[in-house]
Amino acid sequence: MKSYIYIILAVLFIIPLSAVSQTSEDIFRAVGTPHNPKVQIAFNKYYTSEGLAALGKKIADAHPNLVKRQSIGKSTKGRDIWMLAITDYSVGDADRKPAFYVDGNIHSNEIQGGEICTYTAWYLTEGYKDIDYVKNMLRDRIFYIVPTINPDARNDFMKEANTAHSPRAGLIALDDDSDGLFDEDGYDDLDGDGSITQMRRKNDNGNFILDPKDPRKMIQIGPDDIVTAQRYEFLGSEGIDNDGDGRINEDTYGYYDPNRDWGWKWQPDYVQRGAYKYPFSAPETRAVADFVKAHPNIAGAQSFHNSGGMILRGPGAEEDLATYNRADVRIYDAIGNKGAELLPGYRYLTVYKDLYSVFGGELDWFYGGRGIYTFTNEIFTNYAYYKKNGGGQDVRYNAERDLLLGDGFTMWKSFNHPTYGEVEIGGFKKNFGRATPGFLLEEECHRNMVFTFYHAYHMPNISVDKITKKSLGGGLTEVTAIIKNDRLMPTHASQDLKYKIERPDFISLSGGKVIAGMIVNNDDFNVTTEQKVNPEKLRINNISGNSTVKVRWIVKGGNNYKVTVDSAKGGLVSKSL
Amino acid sequence: MASCFFLTNIATLNAQQDYRNSSQITSALKTLASQHGSKATLKSLTKTEGGNDIWSLTLSNGQPDSNPAIAIVGGVDGGHLLGVELSVQLAENILTNHADILERTTFYIFPNMSPDATAQYFKTLKYERHGNAVNTDDDRDGEKGEDGYEDLNGDNLITMIRVADPTGDYKMLEEDNRIMVKANTKKGEVGAYKLYTEGIDNDKDGRFNEDGEGGIAFNKNMSFNFPYFTKGSGEHPVSEKENRALLDFLYERWNLYSIFTFGPANNLSSPLKYNAQAANKRVVTSILKKDEMLNKFLSDRYNDITKTKDAPGSVAKGGNFFSWSYFHFGKLAMSTPGWWAPKPEADSLVKPSKNNKVNFLRWSEQQGMTDVFVDWKEINHPDFPNQKVEVGGMVPFKMTNPPYNKVSAIVESHAKFIAEISKLQPSIKLQNLKQEAIGNGITRITVDVHNTGLIPTHTEMGDRSRWLRQINVDIKLGNNQELISGRKHQLINTIAEDSSVQLTWLIKGKGSLNLTAGAPHTGTDNASINLK
Repeated sequence: MKSYIYIILAVLFIIPLSAVSQTSEDIFRAVGTPHNPKVQIAFNKYYTSEGLAALGKKIADAHPNLVKRQSIGKSTKGRDIWMLAITDYSVGDADRKPAFYVDGNIHSNEIQGGEICTYTAWYLTEGYKDIDYVKNMLRDRIFYIVPTINPDARNDFMKEANTAHSPRAGLIALDDDSDGLFDEDGYDDLDGDGSITQMRRKNDNGNFILDPKDPRKMIQIGPDDIVTAQRYEFLGSEGIDNDGDGRINEDTYGYYDPNRDWGWKWQPDYVQRGAYKYPFSAPETRAVADFVKAHPNIAGAQSFHNSGGMILRGPGAEEDLATYNRADVRIYDAIGNKGAELLPGYRYLTVYKDLYSVFGGELDWFYGGRGIYTFTNEIFTNYAYYKKNGGGQDVRYNAERDLLLGDGFTMWKSFNHPTYGEVEIGGFKKNFGRATPGFLLEEECHRNMVFTFYHAYHMPNISVDKITKKSLGGGLTEVTAIIKNDRLMPTHASQDLKYKIERPDFISLSGGKVIAGMIVNNDDFNVTTEQKVNPEKLRINNISGNSTVKVRWIVKGGNNYKVTVDSAKGGLVSKSL
Repeated sequence: MASCFFLTNIATLNAQQDYRNSSQITSALKTLASQHGSKATLKSLTKTEGGNDIWSLTLSNGQPDSNPAIAIVGGVDGGHLLGVELSVQLAENILTNHADILERTTFYIFPNMSPDATAQYFKTLKYERHGNAVNTDDDRDGEKGEDGYEDLNGDNLITMIRVADPTGDYKMLEEDNRIMVKANTKKGEVGAYKLYTEGIDNDKDGRFNEDGEGGIAFNKNMSFNFPYFTKGSGEHPVSEKENRALLDFLYERWNLYSIFTFGPANNLSSPLKYNAQAANKRVVTSILKKDEMLNKFLSDRYNDITKTKDAPGSVAKGGNFFSWSYFHFGKLAMSTPGWWAPKPEADSLVKPSKNNKVNFLRWSEQQGMTDVFVDWKEINHPDFPNQKVEVGGMVPFKMTNPPYNKVSAIVESHAKFIAEISKLQPSIKLQNLKQEAIGNGITRITVDVHNTGLIPTHTEMGDRSRWLRQINVDIKLGNNQELISGRKHQLINTIAEDSSVQLTWLIKGKGSLNLTAGAPHTGTDNASINLK
């Protein structure tokens, strides 16, 4: 008995000790990955909302100079929506740096975003020391990372009876069947395997038979088939008639779709199925919108969904086609095409024409409502199993058997159903098909992260390139400055310019009394646009991508001239002559 | 004590010469609630940025959920003081003169959705304000509130300035040279004035008063046809506390079948027009065909009962509340300004003008009103040092709000119309219940589910909306009874006015069973039958 206790104690001590002792000498760095991180995280499994929150806290606690952790609001059930603001806090004013916003898991069952966001936060903080790219990125930019904007229903997906597709909604109860009761007839995990699979029943007039070569599969009977085998019928997803109204699973979660709840060209439920009451009527989306409105420095954004291997841009709705003009599509294309290269198996697509035409999506509000270049990635595709396209449904069955060793399927078992009588229950488990398998998850995280880095890299990067002065005589000096943006994105997207969503950029001169100020349109031919009022603070509508702006002041007196550029999305920079 | 209260209230009403401010309205509402016990309950939905309560007054038989309901919404526009008064006085009128209708209809009354804005009427400097007290950057230039109005002639009113300038687009109207109109160059007219709102160009950006106290307007902040990035609209639809609070309240009232708005939109003087193309698009922007006919029916009633005519055109701009109540909420939507200046009496010499200001000035003159126009008067203006600048124009509020002594008659006629709507409202009754024995202990039950109202159970739009329940029909069997045919629970999408749907069941067994049919907004009827 005593020796048993010793073993337990030994196990308790040795495991943490070995983890700590496994530092430099026992490890050889795999290129591209922080090999001796302060925070150890396994990226071959998924974490509940509390799990993600705990990882976020560990990362923040371990890197106080790089991370500030904050709750941006409460979910329907009162959970915090945690955000990690990651930058090099020793340089500049953090919330004035061009910002990149990332979130995951708006759809409850589309869970990978939680891990991709956490991996990104982990990589930025652990990679800061050794990887110059990361160091420079955190010097110039800030990342606002929200691993899950749907913490209630993330947990529900993992812990309750669900299919791979449920819940998509959050946990606000709605009356789908118009009977005055809310969410009263959802799924029931009749076989207790933790997943909602399928129900089938022997029926001599059914349309299916069992596949004699694969007991998991059903084969549909064609019109010319002569069938001698036992026929079956499908009875839908696992469940019973909980409310006794003669229907099964007809009032499950919601139904509303948090990704139809955003405030750009929002439409009600009868136009756009899934809309709730009004834009931002779900507390989770409202929390994000309030955060984004309070952070005009956000210039790029990314949200993670699953599945299908897609890098999506707007417009969501065909009716909104005019919102996306050529100048901005060019920028989207440059980033999106790079993404397709970084994410093998993924295609760069436009929502309304390649997926479906839909109103009220997150990416549309970010772009249409805030002028922020935004992508949505649909994580995971069957391509990942064998690193090739094609193969249809067989790919899923083969991968489940050969790569996942049968862990993704609940074999058919008989069950006595209160309405249907003798049925069989079985099918793919909820963690198969949409959620990336464990052995592929870290790769999925890394590739999606580097795509967001590419996007974040190309947010505007403003500098005061050069200041020159020339005496005009009579105590007057002409000061000329060249302002440079050496990245792809302008300080104002064309949608932003069209509606003046964000204020103009200000370019100011201090150090002397400014008596005239102007934008230099063409220096060679002396074409300028004078600003008659407050010439010391020139208002510039936009600083385009990969371009310069030249400005000029006529100044009386002074000598320590300082030029300051104050741009909401381009940051705050200055230079003295 | 109660009678004493009552007397005080009457006394104040009699003494009332002008529109009541926020604290007077609040105290009137509190008095109503205290006098009428469970029939009138008052609740604050939220406080605006300006610290004003958004009041919700519920009138009912004591159980608000038990009857179909109408919401009455006032103050949707901050310049429309009349809507606030009408909402409050309608409540008083219903409780005093029509209390019987509370036995069949519940009223949710929201007297003022723009209290921050209506407050401007009661301040020293008066102008028609629409926005709430939220600090906004109306011209989106990075500075907030840097160019507001100035009272240049010291009359405590914001009117207009006209600047004599050959490059201007405006000219005096020949019929009445107090009124400035745009010169029509295609008719050979030439502009001689520039016209601005009263003030100076504080930020020297060439625009006058484009970024003053601003705020976000309740009636521009709704989700239908939202006017993105325009002055007063807000950054996205339903961004404001008062808009959200009202909608959250309304979305939870399943008994609500109608929304009655006092505001600039008017579908009661003349009905909305159906447009097939706009009605058949995914995003619907025309009233639907059946609803057009319903609107026509109600509009005829309105014109009959209120004896009004010659209404100016309806104003339903992007983001307005009335359009939301129909297009996005699917309820029976009605709206009226409640009052407009009648056309002036014409004689052989003077015909009614095409210009509504001319007509208004003539009418007010016939009424002996002297405070509706500020005569143009020259001033010195810092932005136009060498030009002739005059201040003048229509006195704010006068064209949209009648003299206060006319309010009680408007209340009276609108109370009658509301009472009429209540009579017409959808109402589900189970009728012609019968049983036939078909042998071997099996009985066929037949019943007509009848909408006895002259309003359909669902507008055509409401039939599409998830926010109106379908009609639930349930049969509750007794012991040892078995359903052979027919459904235990079924839904009917909609039943037209004075129409019915027949349902049948086959039941095996004896004894009594129960039927219920209805939805919260149509009322529910039940019947029991004894199987022989």
